[in-house]
Amino acid sequence: MSRSQRSADATDSDDATLELRDIVKYYGKPGQGRVLVLDEIDLDVEPGSFVSLLGPSGCGKTTLMNVVAGLVEPTSGTMRRGGRDVTPDDLSSGYVFQEPRLLEWRTVAENIEFALQARDVPESEWDERIEKYLDMVGLLSDADNYPSRLSGGMKQRVAIARALAIEPEMLLMDEPFSSLDEITAGDLREELLEIWREEDMTVLFVTHDINEAVFLSDYIYMMNEVGEMFARRDVDIERPRHYDDPAVAERETELYTEFHEQVVS
Amino acid sequence: MDRVRRILWSVASMLGLLVIWWVGSVAFPAVLPGVGAVVEELGVILTTPGAYGHMWYYHVWKTAEMIFVSLVVCLAVGTVVGVALGTSDWLETATSPWVYGWLAFPSLVVVFLVGVWFGFTPLAGYIGVPIVVTPFVVLNMWEGARNLDRNLEEMSGFFGASRYQTFMEVIIPQLVPFLFTSVRSALSIGWKITLLVEALLLTRGVGFMFKRSFDNYQLTAMMAWLVVFMVFLFIVEYGVIVPLHNYMTDWRPEIEGVQPTE
Ligand SMILES: Nc1ncnc2c1ncn2[C@@H]1O[C@H](COP(=O)(O)OP(=O)(O)OP(=O)(O)O)[C@@H](O)[C@H]1O
Ligand SMILES: [Mg+2]
Repeated sequence: MSRSQRSADATDSDDATLELRDIVKYYGKPGQGRVLVLDEIDLDVEPGSFVSLLGPSGCGKTTLMNVVAGLVEPTSGTMRRGGRDVTPDDLSSGYVFQEPRLLEWRTVAENIEFALQARDVPESEWDERIEKYLDMVGLLSDADNYPSRLSGGMKQRVAIARALAIEPEMLLMDEPFSSLDEITAGDLREELLEIWREEDMTVLFVTHDINEAVFLSDYIYMMNEVGEMFARRDVDIERPRHYDDPAVAERETELYTEFHEQVVS
Repeated sequence: MDRVRRILWSVASMLGLLVIWWVGSVAFPAVLPGVGAVVEELGVILTTPGAYGHMWYYHVWKTAEMIFVSLVVCLAVGTVVGVALGTSDWLETATSPWVYGWLAFPSLVVVFLVGVWFGFTPLAGYIGVPIVVTPFVVLNMWEGARNLDRNLEEMSGFFGASRYQTFMEVIIPQLVPFLFTSVRSALSIGWKITLLVEALLLTRGVGFMFKRSFDNYQLTAMMAWLVVFMVFLFIVEYGVIVPLHNYMTDWRPEIEGVQPTE
């Protein structure tokens, strides 16, 4: 049974919160024995919300994301939705990785086709979807271009279009803008919020940038470098938000202070 | 550089070579036959049957046949072994000394051994040449397999691609540049060994004709055969290798002057 079929069976509980409980992950490291990367993580992802995961480099953000995506098997812990255990295969999710991870030998359109074929989307729908999502990220005119011809920001947009094209309920994004310059990243953030609003999706967003987290999120989970999730904080600022909104700056300062008390000491 | 310029430069460098040859043959007539004499000899070789009543193209064809059959065998075996080594840690640890030993094994000894084992027959060549060339392909493909991008495989797995789709669309394209380098080195080592086999074991092929000229101390004939052989190599290079290279690197458009726009 394919992923898409399996996720179709689970639609009855789709509008419930996804609850991760006591997620523990150890990695075996040569010469160091077992290393604890995720320490009893609890995480709630409410449907339709924009959730950020904030933490310093190496704290286990990607690992946690990969647990949700099914790429990493946790040592222990549960994932539940609507009172039932779920596996990553039951969740319909799209992934925008930390790097674009495009196939350099295929055109932009063919890269999206790759994902559609992999997800068993009927071939008759491919063209329509490719057009729709490339248009959404503003790259329709580059459909026949090769990734090597694109800038970093454009590549990341293709990766976003690829993740959207499989029409997931939840979009996983792992520091998608951290390697881009601030101007490009700023534009892409606004575009992302636009898409999120239009598509009625859930977004789980990893970042180490507090300003980015505050600007984008409904609520933010904060992790420290020993793999503990130490706080969940809401961002009650009206949308659309602006980068120069004093409320954003104020919330950012509060979280910054709290973050540093936890992480640096 | 535009096309016309490029062609002009190639022609100029060929003419330069001829001039050097001519000067050399005037300065050292005993060791380097003149251009005119070689052209004359070439005329004889190209129009009259040589040893055992065979025309020149019979020998060229036999040499080509041995190189290309060996090439196919080397690429197939070398790719399988190389990829296996590059993707399996224990296989790599267990067998890498063998590969290095195989690489270091003197090719001359291989030629003598297959001669002893299989006699003075073409079969000796068809076995000897791949034995010598395959480890170079193994080394290349091994390197290629070690460089496979795990991240792309993870992406492919996340989107739910089948093993077949992953292999065809993610793995193979990453190996293509290494496959191409393999063809290159297999060909350049392969023809040297083929000539050696022909000269030492067989009574046909370009290598045999070189040896015959040598035995009879016919320096001019040797040069004439060298010309035939070089022309053959050029045809392979520009008729097979270059188009193959262009085809394989289709997806890597030249980035001459194209600036990404944001
Ligand atoms: N496959 C693995 N095997 C062993 N250790 C690993 C593996 N993957 C990650 N780690 C370790 O787990 C820890 C957390 O890694 P992870 O990639 O989740 O961090 P991160 O928060 O995403 O960091 P960054 O912000 O730099 O991307 C790191 O110490 C890393 O070295
Ligand atoms: Mg990470």
